[in-house]
Amino acid sequence: MADTDTVKLKTETVKLTIDGREVEVPKGTLVIEAARKLGIEIPFFCYHQKLKSDGNCRMCLVAVEKMPKLQVSCSVPVSEGMVVHANTTVVQEARKGVLDFLLANHPLDCPICDEGGRCPLQDYSQKYTAYGQFKEEKRIYEKEFFSPLIEKEMNRCIQCMRCVRYCDEVIDSKALSSVNRGYHIEIGHYGEKQLECEFCGGCVQICPVGALLNRLPLYEYRPWMLTRTETTCAYCADGCSLRLESRPQTREVIEVTSFWGNETKTVWGKGRNEGDLCAKGYFGYQFVNSPNRLTKPLVRKDGRRDGPLVEASWEEALERVAEEFGRIKGLHGGEAFGALASARCTNENLYVFQKFIRLVLGSPNVDSSVRYGMVNAARALTELTGTPRWLPSYEDITQADLVFVIGTDITHSNPIVGLKVKAAAKKGAKLIVGSPLRPRISTLSHIVNLATRHLAHRPGAERIVVIGMVKAVLEQGKAAAGLAEHPSIARLRETVSKLSQKQIESATGLSYDAIRAAAEEWTAASRAVIVFGESIVRARDGYETVRILGDLALLTGKLTAEGCGLAPLYEENNEMGAYEMGVVPDRLPGLGRLDHEPDRERVQRAWKEPIPTGPGLTMIEMLAAAREGRIRALYLMGENPVGTLPASAGAAEALESAEFVVSQDLFLTETGEKADVVLPAASFAEQNGTFTNQEGRVQPVRKAIEPIHGTRPDWEILSQIAVEMGHPLEYQDGAEVSHEIARLWPACRPGGPGWREIPGRSEPAVAAERYRAERLTEGISERYRIDSGEKVPASSNGRFHLAMGPLLFHSGKMSLQADGLMKIQNRPFLYMAPEDAERFGVGEGQSVRLRSARGPGSVEVAVKIDAKYPPGMVFFPESFNEPPVKDLLTVELDKASHVPVFKTAEVVIEKIT
Amino acid sequence: MKYEKVLHKNLETPGYTGSLADYERQGGYQAIRKALKEYAPTQLIDLVKRSGLRGRGGAGFPAGTKWDFLPKDPALTRYLCCNADESEPGTFKDRELIERDPHQLIEGMILAAYAIGAKVAYIYIRGEFVYGAQVLERALAEANRAGYLGKKILKSGTDIEIYLHRGAGAYICGEETALLESIEGKRGLPRNKPPFPAIHGLYGKPTVINNVETLSNLPHIVNRGVEWFTSIGSPPKSPGMRIFSVSGHVNRPGNYEVPMGITLRELIHEQAGGVLGNKKIKAIIPGGASAAFLTESSLDVKMDFESIAQVGSMLGSGGVTVMDEDTCMVSAALNLMEFFAHETCGKCSPCREGSSWLVQMMRRIEHGHGRMEDLDQLVRICNNIGGKTVCAFGDAEIAPILSTLKHWRSEYEYHIKEKKCLVGNRGGQLLTIGKH
Repeated sequence: MADTDTVKLKTETVKLTIDGREVEVPKGTLVIEAARKLGIEIPFFCYHQKLKSDGNCRMCLVAVEKMPKLQVSCSVPVSEGMVVHANTTVVQEARKGVLDFLLANHPLDCPICDEGGRCPLQDYSQKYTAYGQFKEEKRIYEKEFFSPLIEKEMNRCIQCMRCVRYCDEVIDSKALSSVNRGYHIEIGHYGEKQLECEFCGGCVQICPVGALLNRLPLYEYRPWMLTRTETTCAYCADGCSLRLESRPQTREVIEVTSFWGNETKTVWGKGRNEGDLCAKGYFGYQFVNSPNRLTKPLVRKDGRRDGPLVEASWEEALERVAEEFGRIKGLHGGEAFGALASARCTNENLYVFQKFIRLVLGSPNVDSSVRYGMVNAARALTELTGTPRWLPSYEDITQADLVFVIGTDITHSNPIVGLKVKAAAKKGAKLIVGSPLRPRISTLSHIVNLATRHLAHRPGAERIVVIGMVKAVLEQGKAAAGLAEHPSIARLRETVSKLSQKQIESATGLSYDAIRAAAEEWTAASRAVIVFGESIVRARDGYETVRILGDLALLTGKLTAEGCGLAPLYEENNEMGAYEMGVVPDRLPGLGRLDHEPDRERVQRAWKEPIPTGPGLTMIEMLAAAREGRIRALYLMGENPVGTLPASAGAAEALESAEFVVSQDLFLTETGEKADVVLPAASFAEQNGTFTNQEGRVQPVRKAIEPIHGTRPDWEILSQIAVEMGHPLEYQDGAEVSHEIARLWPACRPGGPGWREIPGRSEPAVAAERYRAERLTEGISERYRIDSGEKVPASSNGRFHLAMGPLLFHSGKMSLQADGLMKIQNRPFLYMAPEDAERFGVGEGQSVRLRSARGPGSVEVAVKIDAKYPPGMVFFPESFNEPPVKDLLTVELDKASHVPVFKTAEVVIEKIT
Repeated sequence: MKYEKVLHKNLETPGYTGSLADYERQGGYQAIRKALKEYAPTQLIDLVKRSGLRGRGGAGFPAGTKWDFLPKDPALTRYLCCNADESEPGTFKDRELIERDPHQLIEGMILAAYAIGAKVAYIYIRGEFVYGAQVLERALAEANRAGYLGKKILKSGTDIEIYLHRGAGAYICGEETALLESIEGKRGLPRNKPPFPAIHGLYGKPTVINNVETLSNLPHIVNRGVEWFTSIGSPPKSPGMRIFSVSGHVNRPGNYEVPMGITLRELIHEQAGGVLGNKKIKAIIPGGASAAFLTESSLDVKMDFESIAQVGSMLGSGGVTVMDEDTCMVSAALNLMEFFAHETCGKCSPCREGSSWLVQMMRRIEHGHGRMEDLDQLVRICNNIGGKTVCAFGDAEIAPILSTLKHWRSEYEYHIKEKKCLVGNRGGQLLTIGKH
């Protein structure tokens, strides 16, 4: 690999002169960028580095020698020996002239415009001392209601079309368009009523003036009066950088912006998201200031379990927790405690949590929401490459020549990684998408639409699709050089050769030729990444499927090669952090194994205390143990098993059986309602810390406002209970926790470049080699089996495949408390193919009854028709607990990883008559 | 003086219907037979280059040179587009060629497509030309049936298909890159150049866009040879015939096919029958609404590209509009400015905002609400538009105001000072109509 790197072609460069200064830039660079490199500012409105040049505003005119007219520097590429004059009188006058035109119809409402103070039109008018020469009648657009979230003020529009171009070129949503002609051009949207789109907020952010604005904080602020805090998003694991614009005096987050560089918002954004955000990131911040936030501890009245929850002082609540914990520990020992944390918490809170459980309570039973599926991928990746972190980066996806996306509706689950995949596809990369979803044109982007090869497999058949690809690679003799002779690969070939093409075809619903063609493309690619998500990591055989993907990559030399590898997507922002902080029963902070003496010893030395030996119980085991009376107390930090798991998982019964339950959360959850003590926690906006995104990048979380009155950061609460229990874990502040983590494990510091930061870990290639030699054949026949029953019912027999999964606009408790997101969608629907809807005679919004094909119970749900779903498949967004569709699901425990699998079911649909 | 008709020969033949049979009877479709047999595509390009045929759409760019800009790589798909979006006020020559002799155009397109190696060609026809579109559809069907179009035309190895694409009523789609966008199904907005269509045209492929009249010349050049073509008109730089659409205050408005280089005086007084009511000529637009106004003193200028350019206007689309001595120049300039303000596509700030700004000011002046400083402001706005836009529309729209201000500034001043019009039947009347 290293050899090929050194023969990289040297980029051709071009020398030119701008305002008498020479500069050398890569061929193809635009004049405006070459000038920026020299620090020569050329003003512009319509240009944006994320977008193709349109050259419409004409503000960036420069004089180029030997060219007859002034040239727009945003559209002219440099050429050798070019001589540019960016600031002559002629040029300055031309810019002033353009400003005259733009100001002609621009209203003088800067004092009430939310863009005032961060508006390039204001700034350039000042700089070029342009003032209104226009003495005619101004153009007035009729006010139009655009959307509950986005305010459109067309009178301010300068028709640069950045919003329309962004929506198309970056988001691939195409929800916006210019309508009418000439002087009367305005920004419009498709559809008759209000805007329907992805609500990424990109149009608002990219608008250079105040024509498109966020309606949620409209007229509530002047930009310069807000305090701006750079932090990391708390929704999904994409790990976007964003800025909380807040009013610290009132402890209010007013709005979110992202890093589009300077005040004119015109350069590539910073952060893993390069400035792009999704609906949750941009419009989902109000949960912080939700009136439903818990602001006082709650305890059972008079300590009676059947008493109501009543408000209590922090002293009273903490004392009570310490007392009960002490009593139970004294009577039953540490094993009597079970603890679950949410992977939404910061690394610091998670670290203190597991330390508290392990040392103060003395329990090995600590687990977290990574158990819902992330551990499948983390375990498999650790075996395959020695680290749970990604080997490829987001940049590798963008620069790949092939991206294989499978098991994820990426726009909904991880929209920003979705943008990376789109960018790769738009640059000409091959895009193989394994998805039962059909292509569909709407104003929501859909990755299947961009696929160069769509493997439209049966729902739930992801594993068999990948098995088919492994088989095809081996059959074609396309295994990477030197691999074929290896005994483990020979064994793999033997195993897959026993699977017939017919079996694969009937299990996947695909032709074997299509799978073979995909395998061929995959093999031929040189920079290729597999991006996969919830339908693999949270599904049946999740761990096995990730290993099969690993086998596919390994076979073709793409597991650890530069720019290649596996890229699992996670739902919660800090799943990687929770895993790395040891909030799983078998791992310690820093990824050490609990049952590995040297690993234990290292952590024990740092903590100066013995760590209880395991193995501790995993989530579902803990709940069972609680029901059986073996676990007597449960500590739930941000985790809500009652609201998340289907009723059949028995979480509610577990909580009821336990003697003492503590729920520590932002809101009173279904779990909190069953707790003995509820402790109000501070949100991510109210504390410092770090999140680790799915790639394994540790990123800063910064305090924008002081904790909402009455709430406290998790680590502080834990520390206070510890003190009360006479086993102090004292920290002055969050930073002290960070330092302790960093001492124990230097990889957990912001800005780390991924796996390379993990000390003592072998190179991934070495780990992969070891996997191939020692582990590949382990459980191979189980992994590569095709069950005869592995067929999904077709709707013809009246049964449907119900899938529960993520929705772009919601993620659960936080999103349901965010006004903005609720304005986009405040209730769930059962999404159904138009063919099926027609068969049932149900229209949009009408209800059907959903019944489990295997168990009791039924619910009524309203239908939304969406052609993306194939006949026979229905989808329900998992973030909504009402109606209780999830209770129709049964839980299957993954033997290898103890992941509770419950995202799909076979259901019967009945029309309500 | 009478001239031998070339492009108008068929359609001025009594009883000629424009059908395939009529066209063949007049010797039609012989040029492609000859070209396919005698010329390799490069030779045909060379022939047209040597003929000196210049574009009849407006810019007058040499057709053969344009063809020669295409990349030579034979593997590349290329397209030919016929610009039949004739929308220039005062111009109606293409319409007659389309409606009355469609096969002449189709034969010309076949020749051009063969020369540049295009297997697919489009005719982009102005949306309002409903009848013309019907005629062309019929003619294309006839040509397909007769084997002039389709796979292996005339049993040669050449495939050429022609599709008719109707516009939807935007003047800007006559601008060649906006035309391409429109064929692609997008808003008809001009593209930034470079890259030029020869490199990155329709669907990103090398593309040639030629005007109806330009293409209609090709069969004649092939049939009668370069020497014939370069001997007529105003060689060496403006050879060939030219169809002028003469309108305005003349006795016989209409299309006149004459050799390039006859004088304006001959065109107006001999061909078009002189000025209505024998009045004096005040102004002439020599080449469509985008061309600067000329005064009577230019009547002896030769109607060829160079001569017209020398007097500060352009031959353009060949639309000649004559205005007599009673025409108010403020009103005439306003009239055209209103057209341009209505037709600006709105892409570039100067043109989008400037055109309506100019209209509002011109309306004030026309209606007697002008101020003396408006005149300098008009010039300033025009200069801020000219040369500052993506396409030539910006340069075109300022021509009427700048040229009328140059030649008839006194009329503007009279409107402002006296609030009266200097000329015509409004002469001396107060102009305080409209608001302000």
